[in-house]
Amino acid sequence: MAEGQRTRPEASRFARDNILIWQVALVVGLLAVWEVFGRLAGGDQVSSPSRIIGRIVIWLGGELYPHLFTTLGELGCGMAIGCSLGILAGLVLGRMPIVAIILRPIIVGLYSVPLVTLAPLFIMFFGLGLLPKIVLVSIVTFFLLFFNTFTGAQQVDEDYLRTLDLMGANKFERFRKVVAPATAVWIAAGIKIALPYALVATITGELLATRAGLGFLISRAAERFDMTSLYAVLLILMALGLLLSEAALRLEHRFLRWRQVAE
Amino acid sequence: MNDTAAARDVAAAAGTPAKIRLLRAEKAFQVRGQDIEAVHPTDLDIRPHEFIALVGPSGCGKSTILNMIAGLMRPTAGEVLYDGTPVSGPNRRVGYMTQKDTLLPWRTTRDNIRIALELKSHATPRAEADERVRQMIELVGLRGFENHTPAELSGGMRKRAAMARTLIYEPETLLMDEPFGALDSQLKLLMLDQLQSLTQHRHMSVVFVTHDLGEAITLSDRIVVMSARPGRIRAIHDVKLERPRDVFKVRFTPAFSEQHERLWDELKDDIVKGTDV
Amino acid sequence: MARAGQTAVIGTGSARLPGATGGDQSAAERFFSTWAGRIGSRIVLVALILLVWEYAPVPRATRFWMSSPSLILGTLWDWLFDGTIWAHLESTLLVMSEGYVIGCAVGIGFGFLLGFFPRLSRVLAPLLASFYALPKIALAPLFVILLGVDNSSKIALVAVTVFFLVLTSTIDGVREVDRNTVNALVLMGATRTEIIRKVLIWAALPWIFTGMRIAVRYAFTTTLLAELIAANRGLGFLIELNSGNFNTTGAYAAIVVVIICSVLLTELLSRLESRMSHWVS
Repeated sequence: MAEGQRTRPEASRFARDNILIWQVALVVGLLAVWEVFGRLAGGDQVSSPSRIIGRIVIWLGGELYPHLFTTLGELGCGMAIGCSLGILAGLVLGRMPIVAIILRPIIVGLYSVPLVTLAPLFIMFFGLGLLPKIVLVSIVTFFLLFFNTFTGAQQVDEDYLRTLDLMGANKFERFRKVVAPATAVWIAAGIKIALPYALVATITGELLATRAGLGFLISRAAERFDMTSLYAVLLILMALGLLLSEAALRLEHRFLRWRQVAE
Repeated sequence: MNDTAAARDVAAAAGTPAKIRLLRAEKAFQVRGQDIEAVHPTDLDIRPHEFIALVGPSGCGKSTILNMIAGLMRPTAGEVLYDGTPVSGPNRRVGYMTQKDTLLPWRTTRDNIRIALELKSHATPRAEADERVRQMIELVGLRGFENHTPAELSGGMRKRAAMARTLIYEPETLLMDEPFGALDSQLKLLMLDQLQSLTQHRHMSVVFVTHDLGEAITLSDRIVVMSARPGRIRAIHDVKLERPRDVFKVRFTPAFSEQHERLWDELKDDIVKGTDV
Repeated sequence: MARAGQTAVIGTGSARLPGATGGDQSAAERFFSTWAGRIGSRIVLVALILLVWEYAPVPRATRFWMSSPSLILGTLWDWLFDGTIWAHLESTLLVMSEGYVIGCAVGIGFGFLLGFFPRLSRVLAPLLASFYALPKIALAPLFVILLGVDNSSKIALVAVTVFFLVLTSTIDGVREVDRNTVNALVLMGATRTEIIRKVLIWAALPWIFTGMRIAVRYAFTTTLLAELIAANRGLGFLIELNSGNFNTTGAYAAIVVVIICSVLLTELLSRLESRMSHWVS
């Protein structure tokens, strides 16, 4: 029995190593097939892993950064504006019962509308620069955060507030000690949902009309039928997406710790 | 209204300084358009430093009375006076330990107990707060569980944490709604002992709702026996046991048994009527 | 989340009556809680917004950017009768449903495959996670190059989006199957195929439905986005076309159509869901 327990972690580590070998083998195999196929076909139509890596390396020498920072800047600014306004509005309106009663169905209705499709409208309003994307990302994240915070703020247990009332808490303390932490879980969940949406909104905006950003790199490559560049951007975008989803997971975990224990 | 005013005048004339005074206080709830009377017009005086227990079957409005004293519910008619002024809105001079513990789920035991000391109205220097929290944790036997969240505590531990949180800021009046229901009998006695010494020491007034007659007799100066639907006061018993009482031994004295028997006679009709106690 | 003994509000069970929780509701709160109060106030609110939008005294330039409810309604009216809406709506719904069906079919198929072969799914996990994290809309130009500007590129994009959503929920569903049930069947002497046929598929169904339900909205959004980026038909194209021509009224009208569609879609889904939940349980 004791022996079995001792061997178990080793066995699972062995299995994990085995899986890792398979994973590496699979990726290497796929890349090799692509490489061979790409070399046989020749030209930029199929491209090949070696060319793509080569392109990324060249870009990393300098050309990539303005585009990467443009995209990240639009994403960051939009998220910052949209999230903070959304949280603020959600907290304020969520704590006003009458407003909540009236607004709820309107908000629920709007929540289901794909707001990303407003992109052309903002480009019409604000031109080709950073502004239309920032506005687009702000609007998209605003609604997601607003909806989550609004719902969360309404679900705050009134008994917690009453307990604090009797202890002599003032309005601000009620908010700091109960409403904010109780809603934080919802806010974290909202940000987690909003991040991928924000990325989609940014890229959509950039694909439609722009002079910089990863989306611009994609549409420029596509116009020139430069498949190597196209795949290179997609790879970079994939890495960015992974980073963002990892960040979202961490954030959620950080806020959900006490809740996970409860389940 | 006239009734109430008259009663207040009478009370004032009598000159008894009541800490809490219910004057023809009644409470009805609306359920689907129908009025349900939870508490029949009730008069009750609670003196300063008095330990008073409310006993009676479920649904006799004990908790509603606590809620009215705490200012969480407004009486439908009549008045609740605290130190002679009508209670309107949350009554910040009482500490209320409700049946549900309302510990904040995102805070650890230590931080839950500390919360009152973080508020402006009870602002306490950090070092002093730490020390008081430590003592309080010791007192309710939660050492080793300081960093647990409420979800990680047992029902009894949560009750004790909630009690510690209420006691730590030493409110002048304590309202307790079946605080020890979930505890095993050994622990309950220890808690009763702690509660008694604390409240006696700090000269708190206590209104204590319980199902447990033994508990009520052990702690109280007076016991208010209530009957159900609508809740009304049936009798008020003085507990003639000397203080300080030894909670571990008092229940084996003849005076205690006699008191218990009288109370039981009073209550058993209501209990037999099919309400659980 | 609810723990035992936590259900009661302050006080005993009998205090858990309406009005007992908050102490007392204000008269205004009570009014707005009634059916008439709620509906009435919403109508008033919306009417007020529309009136201000229509009649606000603003400079001509601002009016151009704002357009007005009556102009938008006029455009919608015209579109309704000259067939504009129907042509674009048809294209959008067609792309959306074809992509959706393909994505669901392939996603469920692969989901079961990976669910039944957990080691295979662990080998593929990082690869799938990477593609999952990629904003699918970035693939639109690639698909246009590979498949052309017509519907197939858009359908492919929708299918890929739906595929990943349905795939993950199917894998989760198969994985979450109650081990005890499976073990019991193994003890009864059931073979692997029997277990798959009799338990796994059925147990995974609710999860798959959830994934499919979520995927509907993603399919709608992705279709519209694909139409924004490269198309000559569809509601997304209609928004893009009017915005590109600085026809604000037209752009708003197209957005109104999108809003109506998504509200109807949500309504339809919630109806279906309540049907489904009867059926599943």
